[in-house]
Formats: sequence, C-alpha cells, structure tokens
Amino acid sequence: MQSFQFYSPNYLEDALKYIADRKQTCRTLAGGTDLIPMLKKEEIRPDYLLNINEVGELKGVEDLDNQVRIGATTTFTEMIESETLNRFFPLLVNAAASVGGPQIRNRGTIGGNVITNGPCADVLPGIVALDGQLELQSKQDGRRLVSVADVLVTAYETSIRSDELLTGILIQKPVQGTKSGFEKLGRRNAMAKARLNLSIALRQDPNGTISAVSIVPGAVMPVAVRMNDVESMLLGRKPTPVLIQAAADKLVEVVVNTAGIRWSSEYKVPVLKNIFKRVMWRVLAEDPQ
Amino acid sequence: MKKRGIGIGSMFYGIGYGFSRQDIGAATVEICEDGSVIVRSGEVDYGQGSDTIFCQIIAEELGVDYAEIKLITADTLTTPNAGPTSASRVTYVTGKAMMKAATEVRETMREVAEEKLGMQDLMFANGQVFSMSHPEKNISFARLAKATHLAGRSVVATAWQDITTKDVDPETGQGDAYSTYAWASQIAVVEVDTETGKIEVLRVVAAHDVGKAINPKNVEAQIEGGVATGLGYALEEQILINKGIVQNTTLSEYMVPTSMDVPVIESHIVEVPALEGPYGAKGVGEPALIPTAPAILNAIANAVGVRVTALPANLENLHRLIREQENNNKDKS
Amino acid sequence: MTETIGKTKLTFTVNGRETEVLVDPSWTLLRVLRESLGLTGTKRGCEEGDCGLCTVIMEDRAVDSCLVMALQAQGKTVETIEGMGHEHALHPLQKAFIEEGAVQCGFCTPGMIMSSEALLRQNTHPTVEEIKVGLSGNLCRCTGYTKIFKAVAKGSESGGRL
Repeated sequence: MQSFQFYSPNYLEDALKYIADRKQTCRTLAGGTDLIPMLKKEEIRPDYLLNINEVGELKGVEDLDNQVRIGATTTFTEMIESETLNRFFPLLVNAAASVGGPQIRNRGTIGGNVITNGPCADVLPGIVALDGQLELQSKQDGRRLVSVADVLVTAYETSIRSDELLTGILIQKPVQGTKSGFEKLGRRNAMAKARLNLSIALRQDPNGTISAVSIVPGAVMPVAVRMNDVESMLLGRKPTPVLIQAAADKLVEVVVNTAGIRWSSEYKVPVLKNIFKRVMWRVLAEDPQ
Repeated sequence: MKKRGIGIGSMFYGIGYGFSRQDIGAATVEICEDGSVIVRSGEVDYGQGSDTIFCQIIAEELGVDYAEIKLITADTLTTPNAGPTSASRVTYVTGKAMMKAATEVRETMREVAEEKLGMQDLMFANGQVFSMSHPEKNISFARLAKATHLAGRSVVATAWQDITTKDVDPETGQGDAYSTYAWASQIAVVEVDTETGKIEVLRVVAAHDVGKAINPKNVEAQIEGGVATGLGYALEEQILINKGIVQNTTLSEYMVPTSMDVPVIESHIVEVPALEGPYGAKGVGEPALIPTAPAILNAIANAVGVRVTALPANLENLHRLIREQENNNKDKS
Repeated sequence: MTETIGKTKLTFTVNGRETEVLVDPSWTLLRVLRESLGLTGTKRGCEEGDCGLCTVIMEDRAVDSCLVMALQAQGKTVETIEGMGHEHALHPLQKAFIEEGAVQCGFCTPGMIMSSEALLRQNTHPTVEEIKVGLSGNLCRCTGYTKIFKAVAKGSESGGRL
C-alpha cells in the first residue's frame, strides 16, 4: 500500500478544515470495509487519509422531534442495536442485519454505504425508500441538507463535493400506520453481496386503500431509486392480485428500460417480480404499528 | 412457494490407490532407555487428525500413555516415506504400519519381561507390564525398556504395510481393484424457494462404514467437514475459467459455505471391519464428501420434481430448471 | 489528533498491556500485531474481510484486523488469541474447542475463538441460530462448523444446548 498522511481529528471543525485544504488528494476513512481493500490494491492512492471515526458528532442515532438523525459513522451493528431505529425504521434494521458478517457490521457504516453508492448496497435503498436527507457539511458553506436521491449520480459516484463531509442521515419519523418490508437474496446466507434486494414502505387507509407507498429495488439499477411509475399505479387503490401483478410487471419493465437487458436479466427479471409480490403481500398482511 | 424434499445419496469408495498402483505405508517405532517412545513416519497430518490416530495406536499396542509418545512426521531427513495423505488411505495403510512396528518392539520386550518375571501371560497396559493371573508379578514399562536395552535386544522396528492390489482384468473389469471399500449413505432435507431458486439445506444425516472408529469424535468431524464441502460443491462452488485464467480468485467470488449455510450435521458410525486395517479401520476422508451432492440433488428432485444434471445447483440454474418445468407443464395442459 | 507523517507512535492496549509501537500510516492493525508485536496467533488470510482469519476483539467487538488501519487503534483496547489463555491455563472456549474436536487444521481457530468470545460477551446464552450468525464472518473449510457450534454452546453459560 502506498503510504499517506493520516489524520484523526476529534472535532468536526478540524475534519472540515482538513478536507477543505486537500480536496481530491484526501480520502475519508469511515468503516474502511470498502476503502481499505481499495487502498491495498492501490486502486486509489490518496496523499491524505482522514479518519472520521473519532469525531463524536458523527456517531450514533438521535431521536429528534419529528425526525431521526443517524450519524454518518454509525455502524451497522449500532443500527441493529438502536431502539429508535427498531421502533421507527425496522426496514433499515433488517437491511443492516443483512450486510456481510459480524466483523463487517461492526466496522461498516451507514455513511460509507451512502458514499460508496455501490449498486449492491443493502442499506442505501432503504434510505431512498424512506426519503432520507443527507446532512452535508463543509468549511465553505456550512451545513446543507439534500435529498439522498438527488446525490446518487451513477454507480460508485455521487455529486457530493470533495470538500464536503457527509455527517448524518435525517429521516422523517413515519406517519402512524406505516409498514415496511425488506428482502435480500444472496448466493449464500452470510458474507454475500445482494443478488437482489427490495425495500418497501407503505401505508393503507382503514378501508385498505394504499395511501402511501415507496418501492426501491437494489442490485438491479445503476443507483437506488424509487419506482415512481409503480408507486403511482398502487396509490389510491385497494390491493388485489390483479393490481399487484400489474405493479410487478411494471416494476420489471421500468428496471429493464433503465438498466437494459444483461446476462443476469434472464434470472433477475422474473425473480424480482416474485420477490416484489411476496414482499408486498407480506407487508400488506402485517398489522400497522 | 417453499417446498421441502428429502433425498438419499449412497456410495462405496476404494481405499488407497488400487489397480496395481504401489501403495505402501511406513513407520518406525523406537523405545528409549527411559521408556519414552519415539515414532517416525513420513505421513503428514494436515488437520484430519492422523497424528492423533497414530499416537492412539502406539499407546494401545504398548500400553503407554498417549501423551507421552513423541511423534515425528513428514520430515524427509528423518522419517521413512509413507506415501501421501490422499486416497483416504492414511489410517488404513500407515496406521497399520504403526501397529506392526509397535507390535514388533513389544514382542521383543515381552520376551525380556517373560524371562525377568517368569510368567507367560503378560499384558502391557497403563505403563505397566504384568501377569494377568498374578498381577503382583509386574514391571514398569520404563524399567522393562531399560532391561531390554541392557539385554542387547533391538528396541527399534520399522514396519511397512503394502496394500498394492493385483489389478483387474482389462477385458472383464473383474479382479483385485482395491484393498478395501468404505460405504456410506447420507440423507438430506432441503427447502427450495421456487420463486428464487434458493435452496436451504435443513438437515443432513450421514451414516458411514469406517471399519473401526479409532477416534469416534475425529470420524464425526471428518464426516461433518466432508458434508459441508459437499454442500458447497452441490449448491454454489464453481471455478470460472476464461482463456485459461481463473476468474473468481477471491473468497468473495469463490463462495464456500458459511456457518449460516450449513445445518447441524448428524453422523452415525457404522463398523464393518476391514481385514487389513488397524483394528479393522478403513478411511473416511473422501467418503464423507461423496454422497452429499447426490443426496441434496435427490432432495431437490423430491421437492420440486426437477433433475439437476450439471453443478452447481445455484440460484440461476435451479430457477431456470423450475421455469422450464412449469413451461413444459403448461404446454402439456 | 495530530497529523502524521512517516512513522508514528501508536499507543494502545493489547491483551491488557499498554503498548507503544512505531507504525507507518499505511499499515493495518493485522500487520502491526503480527510483524511489529510478533502476535502471530492472529492469522493473515484474504486481506479483504472475507474470511475472518484475522479476527481480533477491538473495544469489545469482533473486527477483521486486516480492515482496520493501525492508527485507527490509537487509544483503543485490542484483544488477540494470545490474550485468551495459554497451554497451562486455557480459556473456557479454548478448552471447549479441544474437548469437542472443533479444531482440525487450526488455521481458522484463533479467529473463530475471538468471534465466539465477542458473541458470548453480547449474548451469554446464544441459541444455535445465534451462534451461526455470530460466526458467519469466519470461514472454516475443515470442520463443517458442527463441532464449532457445539464448542461455543459448551463454552457459554448455557453449556451444551445442542
């Protein structure tokens, strides 16, 4: 591994100053589960490495008035163990629990999952499904909030500036009665990249009409994105087998139109349909909280 | 939909090289003046537990403490060539050489002891040599070792065990193929997710004829490890080669089963002795792996009615077979 | 808190002992443990977090030491297999692994023990399913895991629930 200067500040201010001065020649180290292998293979050769794990402001889950803030260096394990997340966002807890194995979950962070923006990310689709906002901070502009969906450019690429640091993820607390579902399909039961995953959140009126729905498939699109066309088919209607089937057909149509037909499509297209129907019915059958 | 099925895989396996290929095991046993025992053999233990088995055999034959035996293996400078650790042959061939060498030095020591104690019915056990009819007539193994040395008798023995077979008639295929055979059956219970092609192996029960389980826990461990390897072979493992270059060279790309993929494995030991093996023991290393994939594939067939004829039965392959079957059924109806 | 150039002093607690060592910022914790401190019980495997051979406990959590930069351990508590027990005073998990026959080639064993210990600190009475999850970052190619599950159950307070 090519050497670099290593900086491990305790305060956010110091971290922001550090990257402001160095920009592209500096890489930020959070969990390191993706970054360290890249350093070893010399796929990246930064001059400076900024370790943000010691910055207190970036850690932990906070229950704010009507939203929840998840610090960028909150690990998957900390997410799984968070009472707040278990209460409000079981979707994110289930997604975090599906990542790698214990050692990876003990190091890997939610911020890293967003910044890496890998197409097989497990937690990022859930954040998109919940309309999460990213709290970005820089020395120059201070703090700004952007919708997570707006920064995901394409696989492994975001529009977050090199002098900006992702400091937290903010998610509105769900309206009473919101239900969610997550499913991941991997080649084995642990230590597996998602072959497919699916994050769904929805709400129904007392009469069963779908009043809100958010659908984000993972590992089939260049970036995690809500399936607006599918969601609009479902909104304001009562779920029936015909409707859910039509929504499933629409879902794969959108995926194929966006991502194109690949070698894996023969498998992924029908299976995504099946998983969508399965997760939808499971979520619909659940009692609202 | 998730469907369950149950399948059986059975096998027999020729232990050793067979078909007239030379197959010789060797060991040297030396008794020192103080009664300590040094054993040398070129056989290598790479985790399967042959060192444990060898020490058990020597301890059994000499009636000494297992922990006191000094075993030197796989040192080409000092150990006799015993052939490779392969063909599930180590216990069967070199284990028997161990037994023979230990027997030879024991019988020399017995003659010395018979003279000293004036008794014929001597037994070697617990570090002592004693008369079975008059146990008060006894001598410690260490003192007997010293006495044997002083008597100028040989306390070093090297034994060879040759299990090379004669071969079979090339015309009829009949004849002397292998020295002995191990037998096994395994039963697998699987759950197939028909919508994704994902297979969960819920249970494996494995019954293996090992001739004699010299160390039952070790035999179980070999069976369990074999089953897990067989499970990976059946469901996921595949070396991808493009123009002679292996494409999946990392453990994230070549995926072996994790602790969450392997069920708790239940093993049953069956003992049908082999004439030439030590105490009747055969081998279990490779037999443990062989029936697993067939058992799993039969269980898949039992669950969803499709026959997997090319491994691995991974997500894509199994899903395609299930869809082809559904389409065939549609065409028929 | 200072920026480091060239070799830097890393001060951390290894197996209960305050330890100081000069490291290059590009070194991993694994390299420092094995090469600077001679703690070779921690094995080097895939070097990218896929095998669990290099598992150590850092701040009470199992981590792949190949995926921790040495300087990230600054001021932290690290435990390796050398801190678990020794030949004449085995740790209960080491004893259980031996008794249950959970060791074959032995290369995964230090990592397995560290993951097992980390699991038992969080959950003193794990079920089989919880043991499987707890060890799912540690590959073993010899044992088929069954005897390891039994050893962990034995090493836990629940004692032999399998």
